[in-house]
Amino acid sequence: MSYLKAESIGQALTLLKESAPESRLIAGGTDLFLQEFPERLIDIGSIEELKWIEEKEGFLEVGAGVTHTIAGGSDLISDKATALAEACLQVGSPQVRNIGTLGGNVMNAAPAADAAVALVALGAVAVLMDKDKNIRRVNVDQLYAGYNCSAVDCSSELLLKFMIESCKSGEGSAFVRFAARRALALPMVNAAVRVKIKNGIISEIYLVAAPVKPAPTRLLKTEELLLGKSACEETWLKAEKSAAGEAEVRGSLLRCSADYRKHLVGILVSRAIQVAALRAIGGKEEG
Amino acid sequence: MPIITENITREKKTETDFQSPEVWTKVTGKAVYGNDFKLPGMLYGKILRSPHPHARIKKINLGSVEAMPGVYASLTGAELPERPYGIVFDDELPLAAELVRYIGDEVAAVAAVDNETASKAVEAINVDYEMLPAVFSPREALKPDAPQLHEKFKDNLAWERNLLRGDSDKAFREADVIVENTFTIPSVHSTYLEPTVCVAADDPYNGLIIHTAVQSPDAVRVIIAKALELPLSKVRIVGPVMGGGFGGRVYGNLKLYMIASLLAIKTGRPVKMQLTREEEFLVGRPMIAAEMHLKMGFKNDGTILAREADIVTDNGAYSAQAPWVSKTLSERNDSVYHIPNIKTRVRLAYTNKVPTGQYRAYGNQAANFATESLLDMGAVKLGIDPLKLRLKNCVKTGDTTVHGLKIKSCALAECLKAAAEEIGWYDRKKGYGYGISAAIHASGSLVFDKNFRGAAALARLELDGRISIFSGEQDYGQGAHATFTLIASRVLGISPEMITVYSRDTLSSPHSIGALGNRQTTIGGKAVQMAAKRLRELIVLTAADMLEDPVVMEKGTLRSASDRIVELPLVAYHYHSLTCGLSLIGEGRYVPEPSEYDETGYGNIAVTYSFAAHGAVVEVDKTTGAITVHKIVAAHDSGKIINQISAIGQVFGGTTQGLGMSCYEGYLFNKGEVANASLADYRIPTSLDVPDITPIFIENEDPEGPYGAKGLGEIVQIPVLGAVANAVADAAGVRVTDLPITAEKVYQALSGWECE
Repeated sequence: MSYLKAESIGQALTLLKESAPESRLIAGGTDLFLQEFPERLIDIGSIEELKWIEEKEGFLEVGAGVTHTIAGGSDLISDKATALAEACLQVGSPQVRNIGTLGGNVMNAAPAADAAVALVALGAVAVLMDKDKNIRRVNVDQLYAGYNCSAVDCSSELLLKFMIESCKSGEGSAFVRFAARRALALPMVNAAVRVKIKNGIISEIYLVAAPVKPAPTRLLKTEELLLGKSACEETWLKAEKSAAGEAEVRGSLLRCSADYRKHLVGILVSRAIQVAALRAIGGKEEG
Repeated sequence: MPIITENITREKKTETDFQSPEVWTKVTGKAVYGNDFKLPGMLYGKILRSPHPHARIKKINLGSVEAMPGVYASLTGAELPERPYGIVFDDELPLAAELVRYIGDEVAAVAAVDNETASKAVEAINVDYEMLPAVFSPREALKPDAPQLHEKFKDNLAWERNLLRGDSDKAFREADVIVENTFTIPSVHSTYLEPTVCVAADDPYNGLIIHTAVQSPDAVRVIIAKALELPLSKVRIVGPVMGGGFGGRVYGNLKLYMIASLLAIKTGRPVKMQLTREEEFLVGRPMIAAEMHLKMGFKNDGTILAREADIVTDNGAYSAQAPWVSKTLSERNDSVYHIPNIKTRVRLAYTNKVPTGQYRAYGNQAANFATESLLDMGAVKLGIDPLKLRLKNCVKTGDTTVHGLKIKSCALAECLKAAAEEIGWYDRKKGYGYGISAAIHASGSLVFDKNFRGAAALARLELDGRISIFSGEQDYGQGAHATFTLIASRVLGISPEMITVYSRDTLSSPHSIGALGNRQTTIGGKAVQMAAKRLRELIVLTAADMLEDPVVMEKGTLRSASDRIVELPLVAYHYHSLTCGLSLIGEGRYVPEPSEYDETGYGNIAVTYSFAAHGAVVEVDKTTGAITVHKIVAAHDSGKIINQISAIGQVFGGTTQGLGMSCYEGYLFNKGEVANASLADYRIPTSLDVPDITPIFIENEDPEGPYGAKGLGEIVQIPVLGAVANAVADAAGVRVTDLPITAEKVYQALSGWECE
């Protein structure tokens, strides 16, 4: 087994080019360490260029190498992409958050990874660079090929960063999760919402609940139902009912039954919308 | 977010706050745990386990395993004499001879130069199985047409007990109010931090030495010597520091010890074997699962008239202590209250699942969940406050209970009142649920071996004036050494820093039953008290002889009638020279009164009894069923507390484990296969899930225990389950009768699934 440490994006790409397809990229390694180890690992965890968080021309750019702890504690992210900061602070445990990266959370392709769910609801775009330094931009929900299977071939392509349209006035986002215990537990359900409210009316909404499909997926029917509705109790109840009805979920012996999960999807979606809406109109939050 | 806080203000009491210096070796990483232990030339062993729940071994094809580079030996059941062993029944073999009875059953083993080589070698072994029908539900297993696990145990009935006290049929006819329900608890693992590990070494001079941390090393030694046909004096257990036991490691892992020993004998080299975490869940002897159907009858004024129980416990494939645990589960809880009429049937069934054992409170915690839940259901029906109902019926000092337990000291009513007061029972906040529960537990069980009820200890004066205590009782993290130190310190009037306690070596310590049945403080501590007392007498006699003048001993110094002063080292040297090498040794023994235990099991079974009442405050989110446990108050009558700091630690730890059983933990099976054999999926509470825990000690002096003390280690876990279950039922308005009480189960109950 070989273990190579890349100091820059350029070096990582060169190393990839030299050794495809046996190599695999490793950042935090919190998921990779649980699997059988590949023959050759290229560590991108200390590449500084992947750790930037900045706002440029109305877009928040978050490097793929940013850890959950850093993202969760970033004022910029809390302000401009609240759901992402909230999601990052609820991943695993402090140890996992300290080392696990946003890029890893998406590339590991788990169906209900907290940060990935928030990224999809925020409409984030992933920026990737291949061995020949070609850049492509893809919506985060397009990075999934199946359950726990990424559409990105990480022996030939490197995820650089996520671009998220900054949250403006009249917009708000939120993330909520429900799990068997308060730390170190995969969610039974998590949900993220980004909403725009104009004159008390929902004018834009992105709504994600997971695990529903292999990729964090928007609940389009519910989104459509909510568009043009006023931000009030009645709408939240509609959201709850519609989301629970729309989500096709599976049950598992380890987490919960399908019926309960369906119920939770409704409850969590409704809760996330309420919090996001409150933020959009600049209301005060409890606690 | 609720976290543990020690919200009792207290001053550090020098007399009752002592931490053994060993604590510092643990927190600084210097303590030697089993995994740290190495011997020169040591090999590593791995076990091939059955992938099938029930099968006949047709052929084990070792192939060229022994020729693999780095492999020193392989071992199969075919090479061994078919000599079954066990703790209660002899129903196990070190390696399966013909049949495998659960997924994980030991089939073959290999010793190799390292773990990786041993694992590869084990994987290369090919076993031909003939599948047999399997049974997973204990109720199914007891049916006559069920697949049979053991020839000796017809209908898979491992053990059964029918118990009758008074006339329960008549009492139920006379009862004004009757409640009944079925309660279930899954198997739970004590999830100690350190997976079980041992190093076995064998040579003609030393014999077999097994280096392993176990709660009852003498008992393990006896079982291994017998099973492997070795002379008892040539089998020795030496313990490194233990990474947690909680009753789950009374016998450690006997199979692991035997296989490591056999491989060590075969290769002539030390062999180290450690279970992986997954193996720990597969073969680590969790507590039995139980299905308890209970019925209780009351008079209108709340007097309890009778209790009937039909209990089925799940043994898994082999027995370990499961019959004893089933017995305690079915019986001990009956002595919390006056219940004059009892009818109990308990059956322990073999199934093709993980063999079971015990965890901390010997099944009493399962019974607490069931009985205390039922009691609250009774309170609702009677229209009586649950606290008043308990106070009306609870036992008190001087009582002899329905099963003949003699209650020499009991502050249960005070515990109930204190716990209720502290959780705000009389001043309830809206939107919260309040629950209370009470418990009894043996403090110093006498019945593991009727001919060996007590304990012995040695106290030796060293040449430098320090004292060494030798005890066969075990400190496995619960603080027994610190307790013994404080007891000896009080007897001898010298500082605890001058005293060191040694256990964990069967060669140098007196033989002991070990750390179970809440024996350590009550029985082991009393033996230490006796040994220290005897040593004090010997010191005074020797000093008097030395000074040719009567002496008194004060604060570790001896003063003669003529006011001459002698320090301890001089007394030690005097005796040393006088005898050409002997030391002053105080031999202490504590032999409790024999237990008059009739054929129905009526009689006193312990030196004394500890009591407790816990109160819980919870909140339930009715839209999801989610439970937030805000506070648990643990009021305990463990007599006089010897070491307050470690007593508080016991309450925090045991209460947290009780909460784990209440709301989080439990084995999940999929056709006999453990579905959650990892710490990711077997969910114990994290620190964020633990509520505020308040310990309260009602310090009544016990006439029997050393300095009035009684046991605490096991009882801390028991009342948590009933208190939490009752608080959740109070908050939700519906009751979950199947542990663990999860959000999903609460939600199901709320949305119309069966409720009371």
